[in-house]
Amino acid sequence: MTDLQRSASRAPTAGTAPGRRRPSGGGGRSWRQRFDNQLLPGLFLAPSALFIFGLTVWPVLQTFRMSFTSADLRSLMTGEYEFIGLENFVNIATDSHLRVVFLQTAIFGIACVLATMVLGMSVALLLNTRLRGHTMLGVLVMLPWAVPAVAGSIVWQWMFHDQYGIINWALASIGMVGFDGFPWFNNRYTAFFAIGMVVVWQGFPFVALCLLAGLKSVSGEVLEAAKIDGAGPWQTVRLIIMPILKPLILVLVVISTIWNFKIFDQVYVMTRGGPARATEVLAITTWREAFTQHDFGLAAALAVAMFVILAVITALYLWLIRDDEEFE
Amino acid sequence: MSRVTSVNPPVVEQPPRRHRRVRSRRVVSRVALYLAALAVAVFSGFPFLWMFLTSIKPSAEILTAVPVFVPSEPIFARYATIITGDFGLHLRNSAVVTAGTVLLSVGSAVMGGWVLARFRIPLRRYLLILVLAAQMFPMIVLLIPIFILMRDLGMLGSYPGLIIAYLSFTTPLVLWIMRGFFRGIPIDLEEAAMIDGATRAQAFRRVVLPLALPGIAATSVFGFNAAWNEFMFALTFTLNAPQRQTLPVALVQFIGRDMAADWGMIMAASVLFTLPVVLFFLLTHRYMTEGLVAGATKG
Repeated sequence: MTDLQRSASRAPTAGTAPGRRRPSGGGGRSWRQRFDNQLLPGLFLAPSALFIFGLTVWPVLQTFRMSFTSADLRSLMTGEYEFIGLENFVNIATDSHLRVVFLQTAIFGIACVLATMVLGMSVALLLNTRLRGHTMLGVLVMLPWAVPAVAGSIVWQWMFHDQYGIINWALASIGMVGFDGFPWFNNRYTAFFAIGMVVVWQGFPFVALCLLAGLKSVSGEVLEAAKIDGAGPWQTVRLIIMPILKPLILVLVVISTIWNFKIFDQVYVMTRGGPARATEVLAITTWREAFTQHDFGLAAALAVAMFVILAVITALYLWLIRDDEEFE
Repeated sequence: MSRVTSVNPPVVEQPPRRHRRVRSRRVVSRVALYLAALAVAVFSGFPFLWMFLTSIKPSAEILTAVPVFVPSEPIFARYATIITGDFGLHLRNSAVVTAGTVLLSVGSAVMGGWVLARFRIPLRRYLLILVLAAQMFPMIVLLIPIFILMRDLGMLGSYPGLIIAYLSFTTPLVLWIMRGFFRGIPIDLEEAAMIDGATRAQAFRRVVLPLALPGIAATSVFGFNAAWNEFMFALTFTLNAPQRQTLPVALVQFIGRDMAADWGMIMAASVLFTLPVVLFFLLTHRYMTEGLVAGATKG
């Protein structure tokens, strides 16, 4: 509402009240108006638009183009890219390792989303009860989210250290002796578990925070009414709070899915995709194909596949928030 | 609970017993709540404590089968070694790249965010959707073409090369947040200034900008975090330029070099790397949380 039309329609009225507006030449004013309303926004938006089109739209198009070529180190030198049609995509569809990568990226991502949501919801409910020190707890819980992914991964890697890690010591001292010296990163599943810990550790604060904001918006009267009708805490959560928060939960699930699907830092730091490429996720495989195998064509095709999958999820996200006033 | 008993007549028949049971159940659930809170606090906070403790322990107390929780004497020498040594260089690389990125992206977002908040420019809705969607893009899709571009320009392993690459993900983010702040500033103030004879640009500079300063500060923190934490671009662009590695890349390389790593040094460097982000967070967490909740859940 606060836009061109309104200010344009208002300006002439203001002009007719000579006492309130400094008199100026008629031609000059209209030029100034045109500058204010047309040139100025263009000028001000230009740098951001340049960055966005030059550094996101153009690279995405380039990646699409490259995915149909056999780009390698030599084509980087000569600038000649041989068009090979869908060969890269056929390779992706038929390569058994790549199929495993797609599968485990999806399973790992979904598992992380589930754990993040459950933990985030529990913490939000916990912070919503007025227990003593909940403000302090709120700040403490938010900290992992503020930490750089690399630093978080390094600390957890140290805590999961086979010989000197505090986690193995803790597990062994509560009776699980099998964990004494247990090499978490030597096995696909335990390595993914350790990586998942970091991902969830960094992901749940945001979810908890959003859900807490949502919980605060549930009116006290509704909860009071439920209590009078004899609903226990579990019933209140399941039958009243969850349905009210459903739209928010959906949005959070979609955002977390997007975040967890493109994970790179945590895996690179903790396992680099190893042992024997067992913990590769899509982003890691793509990076490896590009920057250690120098198969830029295949890497671009993998990136395109990832982009398309995420684009579908993002479209779902945009559809969920389509009525939001932010777009007006 | 007590309300339920007082409202329902049949229950009042045996009040004392009922009350006792209800109260003891309440105590139990209270204790359970505090235990859960403690568990959450340990899960969130312990890694920080452990990072710091490891960084100040004497070396002999780091690699022990039974962890040492209280160092016999705290050692801060590692921090001095890091700042004066190689890590100091990487700290500076991170600082330069982050500062350049924040300046350029927030500078352009201050102008662009205001336009997106105030003007009904053509295709605005689609531009906004693009800005939002660009934050969801997997960085790896952008990485390969930007890498090749920088390689052709000879800007791999240079500060400008990294700064330009970082603009790809900071610009959409800070533009979106900045626009939100401008939307919170009433338009009437600008209109009043224009009625008093100011041009639109003057109204922006003299009226809107001063009011937007807290928002600009908060947005800069977001930009800072995004650039400071970035790993993948920095790793790729400095593959052949170790002296230009940012802090996270240097840290990871340091662990990778030999497996019997010096965890005391790694943790000390991690503390230095994490410290500015956490400090910024503690100073601005109200802004950050509000801004991000609004930014992410409201679109």
